[in-house]
Amino acid sequence: MASPKSKLCEEAHFNAFYLEHIQAVNNFAYYKCGDKATSLDLVQDAFSKIWENCSKIDFSKAKTYLFTTVNNLFLNMVRHQKVVLTYAKASPYLDKTNQNPEYLLEEEEFKKKLQAVISDLSEEQREVFLLNRIEDKKYREIADMLDISQKTVEKRMSGALKILREKLDNQNI
Amino acid sequence: MNKDNDILKWFNGEISTEEIKTMYPNEDFSQLEKASFYSKQFEVPRIDAQKALADFKTRSFKKDEPKVIPLNYKTFLRVAAVLVVMLTSSYFLFFNATKSYSTDIAETTTFILPDDSEVILNAKSQLSFNKKDWKQDRTLTLDGEAFFKVTKGEKFTVNTDAGSIQVLGTQFNVKERDNYFEVKCYEGSVRVSYNGTASVLKPGKSIRVVNGEVSSVEDFTAQNPAWLNKESSFTNVPLWQVIDELQLQYDIKITVAKDVNTSELFSGSFTHNNKNVALQAVTIPLKLSYKINGNNVEFYNYEAN
Repeated sequence: MASPKSKLCEEAHFNAFYLEHIQAVNNFAYYKCGDKATSLDLVQDAFSKIWENCSKIDFSKAKTYLFTTVNNLFLNMVRHQKVVLTYAKASPYLDKTNQNPEYLLEEEEFKKKLQAVISDLSEEQREVFLLNRIEDKKYREIADMLDISQKTVEKRMSGALKILREKLDNQNI
Repeated sequence: MNKDNDILKWFNGEISTEEIKTMYPNEDFSQLEKASFYSKQFEVPRIDAQKALADFKTRSFKKDEPKVIPLNYKTFLRVAAVLVVMLTSSYFLFFNATKSYSTDIAETTTFILPDDSEVILNAKSQLSFNKKDWKQDRTLTLDGEAFFKVTKGEKFTVNTDAGSIQVLGTQFNVKERDNYFEVKCYEGSVRVSYNGTASVLKPGKSIRVVNGEVSSVEDFTAQNPAWLNKESSFTNVPLWQVIDELQLQYDIKITVAKDVNTSELFSGSFTHNNKNVALQAVTIPLKLSYKINGNNVEFYNYEAN
């Protein structure tokens, strides 16, 4: 009876699966839409789809299916708002010892620019960049998660870095 | 392009910040370093997983529960029974290799067996054999009269109600009618089993069993049975057998007056082409006469009248 396919239909297994991935998939959704409530909605919708189709989903593919579903649900949303991420409060500066007000001001300026540039990235570039930065994920892991090739991930990351360099340098002048 | 690749590796943690700086001493990585550092500080909403799961459980799902249909043994058995019937009947329909030939009154047919043996079937006769097993087992079942030209090979057996005939490769004629069994050998040798006794016939010899009794028959010299030439030929054959043969060759019903002795032996032949000539050929030598009434013919002793 416990074939891997129907495993998801057992509530205990599904709950474990849910708890294991809720944070990661919510982050992913958040990078896409930049809104806390919307991202959670997307994620919950995606989980319901998995629960409803549990008998048809291979357990080993469920994680990929989850991320793909979030992605599709996001694409189905009619309006995409501009994604402006917020910094965590009380985050340290790069040079922790430098308390020079001028330096601090400079860094705050930079952070604002960075925020703006990231907002301007394409949705694919942003999600790859943020998964890599915030979650310390390797390109390989990102590729597996989104069910795309590592080459594609690298291409998106490369594009993101290029834009970052150009825009940050420009604005610096 | 190499630099871009190295930057990619740097962000992937494969190259440290110090390394990339020493690799490209003239390049300013401070902006990227800062971007890399500060982008880590973006806040991501923390999810209370348990609470989210609890919320999730309050949702209503349109879940397609797999329907459990109890296995209905009766239906199952019914289907199985139908299948068995169909399979067996189709087996007999399509794999049954029994081939049979038959002729009606006043009809003869010639055909070739799979081993090129030739069979000529006389009127009102039936012959059947298993086509599939023919190579291993040349066995036929005959009811009536037939002439065989058997090509050399394995044992060739003709089974009849009265007895069986076994040959290797010859020409012979088998006649098996009601109360009458006759085998004539035209070539080679024929082994006839009748009533548990076997006898071997040489060319020109024949065996005849009338009413269960073996009767002696004179040797013959014909190369082929007379009926192949549209004639029936008899040598010392009781009249009733001749009448039977007449009835088979001409679609007629022959009745015999009381004073006619049907056991009287007849020698001669009649043609298959002309009914009157045939009737005369039979009646005149026996000092009989006949009356035709439609399909009915009556034989009577003209001397008595």
